[in-house]
Amino acid sequence: MLKIEPQPWAAMVEHGRACFPRECCGIMLGTADDPARVCTVAIPCRNAYVGDQKDRFQLDPKDQLAADRQAREAGLSVIGFFHSHPNEDAYFSATDLKNSWPWYSNVVMSIRNGEFSHAKAFIANDDQSAAEPEELQHA
Amino acid sequence: MPKILIPTPLRQYVDRKDSVEVAGATIGEVLGALTTQYPDLRKNLYSDEGKLRSFVNVYVNDEDIRYLSKDKTEVKAADTISIVPSIAGGGR
Repeated sequence: MLKIEPQPWAAMVEHGRACFPRECCGIMLGTADDPARVCTVAIPCRNAYVGDQKDRFQLDPKDQLAADRQAREAGLSVIGFFHSHPNEDAYFSATDLKNSWPWYSNVVMSIRNGEFSHAKAFIANDDQSAAEPEELQHA
Repeated sequence: MPKILIPTPLRQYVDRKDSVEVAGATIGEVLGALTTQYPDLRKNLYSDEGKLRSFVNVYVNDEDIRYLSKDKTEVKAADTISIVPSIAGGGR
């Protein structure tokens, strides 16, 4: 299960709205203890995909380096990533699966007409052949 | 010895450590020593042909080794090496 605290959740939704009609992306920091992962910090990032961003995103590795440093200094871990699907449902696409990593929580937010609609979370399996839904709790 | 920062998903293969120090003068040597010490890491970092996987980015301090000398990039004892997952996707 993934719990997202109110402050990071608000930051994620706002980033999704601000980037509409392009996809947003970002990094989640928190703790990964059983039974639930808890996201305490969300870092909105620049979409580094070169091309039409209405249905593609890419994280800049430099932003990931900075996020990893921030996590380590705060005693947290990078527990996953988030992105938006403008005017699409919150599913984990073949592109998402192919370009993900196992273990991480992946939150997909559906942003319709500039407003938040719904969100789902997924975890890719070890060989990235499929992604399992992860129970998601947010504010 | 250079310090390698381990991303969260790979810590399960290195006794749950968040960093590991190993000896080596180049990135190739350091990652070789790391995967010798922790063999389960190898399939996560290298393809069957022995090449660094395309979705694995390796940085020495703040520099991507693809823009340095790749696996021949020299490292010093005080350097920090980061393994950064390549993350992308989208609705299409």
